[in-house]
Amino acid sequence: MSDRDIEQLPADIACLEGEEAYDVRWAWQDRKLPSGLTCVFRVKNEARNLPWVLPPMLEAVQHVVVVDNQSDDGTPEVAARVAADVGAADRLTSTSYPFRVSRAGAEHLATPPDSVHSLTHFYNWSFSHVRTCYSMKWDGDMVLTPEGVGMLADLSWQLEDSNAVVAIPRHPLSIESDSVAWIDLGFRFLEPWIYPMGPEFTFVKAFEWEVREFPTSSERIIAPEGMCVELKWLDSDEFSHWSSHDDFGASRAPRKLRELEVYRALMEGRGDEVHGLQRIEAPPGVHIVDHVTGTWLPQQQRPLVRRPGRIDV
Amino acid sequence: MTPMSSPAESLPAKRRVVFVVGSGRSGTSTMSGTLQTLGLHVPQPEVSADETNPKGFGEPQWVVDFHDELLKRCNVQVSDSRPQAWFEAGKLSNLEPLRGRLRDWLESQFVEGGPELVIKDPRLAWFMGLWRSAAMRCDATPAYVTMLRPVTEVVGSKQKYYASKFGEVNRTAAWVNMMLHTERATRGSARAFVRYHDMLTDWTVPVFGLGQQFDLDAVKSASANDIRSVHAFIDPNLRRVQLTWDDVDVPPRLREIAEESWQCLNTLADPGGDTVDVHATLDELRAAYADLYDEAEAIAQSTALAAHRDGLAQQPMPVQVTRRGVDRVPHGVRSMVPASARRGLRKALGRER
Repeated sequence: MSDRDIEQLPADIACLEGEEAYDVRWAWQDRKLPSGLTCVFRVKNEARNLPWVLPPMLEAVQHVVVVDNQSDDGTPEVAARVAADVGAADRLTSTSYPFRVSRAGAEHLATPPDSVHSLTHFYNWSFSHVRTCYSMKWDGDMVLTPEGVGMLADLSWQLEDSNAVVAIPRHPLSIESDSVAWIDLGFRFLEPWIYPMGPEFTFVKAFEWEVREFPTSSERIIAPEGMCVELKWLDSDEFSHWSSHDDFGASRAPRKLRELEVYRALMEGRGDEVHGLQRIEAPPGVHIVDHVTGTWLPQQQRPLVRRPGRIDV
Repeated sequence: MTPMSSPAESLPAKRRVVFVVGSGRSGTSTMSGTLQTLGLHVPQPEVSADETNPKGFGEPQWVVDFHDELLKRCNVQVSDSRPQAWFEAGKLSNLEPLRGRLRDWLESQFVEGGPELVIKDPRLAWFMGLWRSAAMRCDATPAYVTMLRPVTEVVGSKQKYYASKFGEVNRTAAWVNMMLHTERATRGSARAFVRYHDMLTDWTVPVFGLGQQFDLDAVKSASANDIRSVHAFIDPNLRRVQLTWDDVDVPPRLREIAEESWQCLNTLADPGGDTVDVHATLDELRAAYADLYDEAEAIAQSTALAAHRDGLAQQPMPVQVTRRGVDRVPHGVRSMVPASARRGLRKALGRER
């Protein structure tokens, strides 16, 4: 069945506003999805990051879906150009979601889950473009290391019918300049990213944001550390997508509190005072992101993070 | 946090590690031994030669022991025909202690043996993710040589030299599972496919190609003496088993998948043969094999359940829990006995704390 045929099927999740093109229709309703892993990016103004983020991801997985949400910095064009540059234009599906999506936190809580403005619906609609048996969500600012590429490339064919869910630790990297960055190894940022496609693995509403369901019988695999970094440019406001800084609930969003702590310390020149925050300088002529992913992280002693963590779902 | 010693700083020469993979009895020892003779380092000590492999295995003992330990942990056997076994073995690659252990060992081998290593073990294919990670952390470029030999000869060969624990059908299935997934696992990496037959006919052609493709100094700068040594090492009589499908009795669907897999893999060894079209056909064959295995597994489920029951029946009986006399007295009653009296009783019974 072609994508056009799928569009003719009755909606699995009709949106509240009656915008039929944005109803959710799952490809798995109609056929067994073939082997492979598709990475879904929901992006807004990630033109700066995609040249770092997309090439390793296109190396690792079979297909990439980029869903643009009202960018005004040319994000879709950059995605298309980067994919073409690495010879993977045919493995990129680019689409757009033209609705304003509620911010995580109080705004999200007040939005019905089947509204086009809900993160939950946005996620389900984005993932309805997946045509492989496994999918992963990924952020437009997360860069895989070469080891991370190898790990995902292996999982992309090993997972198949396993029904396992994979959590991947990530390490926030605050970029001060082309040659200096601060990596946060004082907190364990761990979250499930990879899921099978199917009725037991769809998105539902939680308090601050959406969560993806999975049965308790699913095996959970935790990837090693050092597989990816999350770029945070100190010259931009990293917290603009939250409705208010006050929404950071200490119980459910400890990572957000940590990010804010690190961000404030770095903006005030107090990076050295934060436990687990390390300054890294690249050798001359090497960009700091390349240095950290290609050299610094592979050679760093394990464990990278010496604090307990939790799966943040 | 202290950074580990930087391999790049301590060793300026570029590091290479060649992994020889493929089904056992496909000439993997011949390839490993050839590269070793030309100057690549095989980590020592090696598994000793025996009558099944009189020229030696070219297998580091540490690697064999390490893989045996991992196979036990994930309940996978060397020749495992279950497609699911790849997931089970692959999961171990996510364990950081294993990654770290392998990285440390590999680093020590580069320090001891020089910048070009060759590592071969028929078990290695199950753990390629771990090895790739270790190579990256040692700042080494990994490359893979997959040895190819007709499935009928491998199955026949194994029947001849190994204990006939498995029939030809299971051997053929395990070959399909190993070869198709090894191809999948090495896709996208620096790799080469070499026919065992080509090694025995004129080894200089494929081995020269490997030297160029993988940029191996030892091969590119091999001396006349090295070359002579390889000629002495490779004995064309090694290819003692030459069988066809007439000699191997397997069900038609398995035979069809195995034969088509062999034809496809064989194409990969041609110059320019490693193409996306061939990959697509190999993907279809993997899916067809997984379907066939699922069916066979469903049909044979009663056998599997019976074996499971047998296994359970052979477990030792659980040790009878001996209840202490004191446990029969309710806690409320025990607490009424003064502490000093309890101590006295314990002493009298020889159960002092």
